[in-house]
Amino acid sequence: MRLALYVTCLVDLMRPSVGFAALRLLEATGGEVVVPEGQTCCGQPAWSAGNRRQALDLAKKAIAELEGYDHVVIPSGSCADQIRNVYPQLLADDPHWAPRARALAGRSHELTSFLVDVAKTELVASEFAGSVTYHDSCKGLRGLGIKRQPRELLAKVRGLSLEEMADCEECCGFGGAFSVKFGAVSTQIVDRKCDAIAAVGADAVVGGDLGCLINIEGRLRRRGDETTRVLHIAEVLAGGDDC
Amino acid sequence: MAAAGRSQAMHFHARAGEKVRNAVLQRALQKAKPLFVGKRAKGIASLAEDGLDFEMLRSTGKNIRNRNLADLDVWLDIFEERATATGAEVLWARDGAEVSRLVVDIARRHGVSKVVKSKSMLSEEAQLNEALAAAGIRPVETDLGEYIVQLAGETPSHIIAPAVHKTIAEVEALFAKEHGRPPETRTSADIPAMAQEARAVLREHFLSAEMGISGANFLIAETGSAALVTNEGNGRMVTTLPKVHVVITGIEKIVPTLEDFATLMRLLPRSATGQAISNYVSLLTGTKRAGDHDGPEKTVFILVDNGRANLLGSDYQDMLRCIRCGACMNHCPVYFSLGGHAYGWVYPGPMGSVLTPLFTGIENALDLPHASTGCNQCGAVCPVAIPLPTLMHRLREEQNERGLRPLSERLALKAWAWLAGKPVLYRWFARRAARYLNWLADGSGRIRIFGLAPEWTAGRDLPVSSGRTFHELYSARKKP
Repeated sequence: MRLALYVTCLVDLMRPSVGFAALRLLEATGGEVVVPEGQTCCGQPAWSAGNRRQALDLAKKAIAELEGYDHVVIPSGSCADQIRNVYPQLLADDPHWAPRARALAGRSHELTSFLVDVAKTELVASEFAGSVTYHDSCKGLRGLGIKRQPRELLAKVRGLSLEEMADCEECCGFGGAFSVKFGAVSTQIVDRKCDAIAAVGADAVVGGDLGCLINIEGRLRRRGDETTRVLHIAEVLAGGDDC
Repeated sequence: MAAAGRSQAMHFHARAGEKVRNAVLQRALQKAKPLFVGKRAKGIASLAEDGLDFEMLRSTGKNIRNRNLADLDVWLDIFEERATATGAEVLWARDGAEVSRLVVDIARRHGVSKVVKSKSMLSEEAQLNEALAAAGIRPVETDLGEYIVQLAGETPSHIIAPAVHKTIAEVEALFAKEHGRPPETRTSADIPAMAQEARAVLREHFLSAEMGISGANFLIAETGSAALVTNEGNGRMVTTLPKVHVVITGIEKIVPTLEDFATLMRLLPRSATGQAISNYVSLLTGTKRAGDHDGPEKTVFILVDNGRANLLGSDYQDMLRCIRCGACMNHCPVYFSLGGHAYGWVYPGPMGSVLTPLFTGIENALDLPHASTGCNQCGAVCPVAIPLPTLMHRLREEQNERGLRPLSERLALKAWAWLAGKPVLYRWFARRAARYLNWLADGSGRIRIFGLAPEWTAGRDLPVSSGRTFHELYSARKKP
């Protein structure tokens, strides 16, 4: 089984450790893991801004790079949603690209859903001493229906206890460009998320989307919380320290 | 578009900043949100007691509304014919100004000096209260929330809870002043007493007004009736006590049959307030008949377009399914950070972010389609499955197609998209960017002030990593 890891532009730039953790998790499934060379960004920023032309160009680029693999795995619900749900819709009227977009969509998976629903391999036992709370990011949850997969995986981590926070399905206020266009509103929203995290008092908040995590961590630290760790689920599952 | 006149939607960004800093408003909103969300969740869960499933029911609701819209002209014709046969008069208004003209005209012909109103968002679209006052006719809002908002000289901030932005203390101060009594310290336990106080004032108005104005939640074609869904009973007073009753509603509110209405009624109160059914559901048909104890001698329906017909057959037709329950705003993280006034026109929240640009001009509400995190909490709860984020997205596209986005944004996107299409160059640039971010963080792992994204660092740090990109580290790892 040939697996492509699509690391996402945000992980590439802001937190490489998530990419390496995902890489280790995929290698542990026994597949051959490739990081396709030319990958940059799935084009979601252009799509969200309403620029169809740019979104189309980047969608075609990604399809061409990623379509030669059995599965494409993405450590982000948001980028996976772009490939699975937006690409087929974006290219629906193009007779050449529509079937390719649909084929890629069917073979592309958010990391936790790949591990649980596709690979179905037993997790290489990792350890985490402490309690975590899980933030369901919007695109993963409402776009891809990812809810039980991360929890099933976290349940297998030795020493880890999951403590659900209130309103874990509520948006963190990131929203890509929204967070810099309407910073005050975005901050107000993430502040409520931080209240929920503080109330549950877990050692770490864990999620599957780096955008949300940067937003949450940024606000927690600004509020003076220096101790609650903010981790991508790949980092928790893969264990160990990267880079 | 005439409707743009009073719209403040172009100032969303500035108004949003102001609302976030308003501590009293924030208290009111944070109190209201869990109530709305919790009540709806219970209401939806109660569907199971009737053996119903929300997803199935809302797909039925969606289909009913789609069928209504597919033959809207036919159902409107049937409605006009049936309503006329019951003795009511049916008038048509192209826009808000025409609504006001018609209402003032009717009022003058019947010698009306005071009007009691039941809640109507369409009358807000038409700025009807201003038009009535200008004609020397006193409009009195009788929905408790609307009454508060009118006393305060404000506009509704929510389509079903117009005064949700106000705290009890604010309402108490307002009542003391307007009702001419000394202020007291009030808690939520005093709400019934405060409502009673308003009721006593309103009773006098109900008995003295010559005309009642209401909206309609639905128009039922087969019977020529207006359906009114309320909780306070003021709707009954408004529509039965005065000698003239004027119903103002949008043309899209039509449903063919009572059966369709019954299905939609399983969705509307549950989505709005979590109730299986509202305290009052009125079907208003025709005028007072011989032997009736009450009812208006004259009933007039004013069916209003005000931009709706333009949406038929457009990319935005789905929006016309809206049954005005307010669930989208009740579940919107942006709405509950700001309240409704930040949105600048009649309709707030996700449905407002779609309707305001469509009704007042896309160029007059540029921020609104972007005032969303894309979380789709609205789309997930909408009882008629309107894909609100998709419609906001389509509006963003249209802004681009019409060259309405700021030049700085267009240039930045263009440069970024060009770079993302050139992997080698992109890698080089990403490496430089990672170094730069790391340098800004100065060994602390986070940036506290970032000139390129000041709105981010105004309220948050920006956590950064070691200054190396993934692809850079990965290439180094592969080479022995």
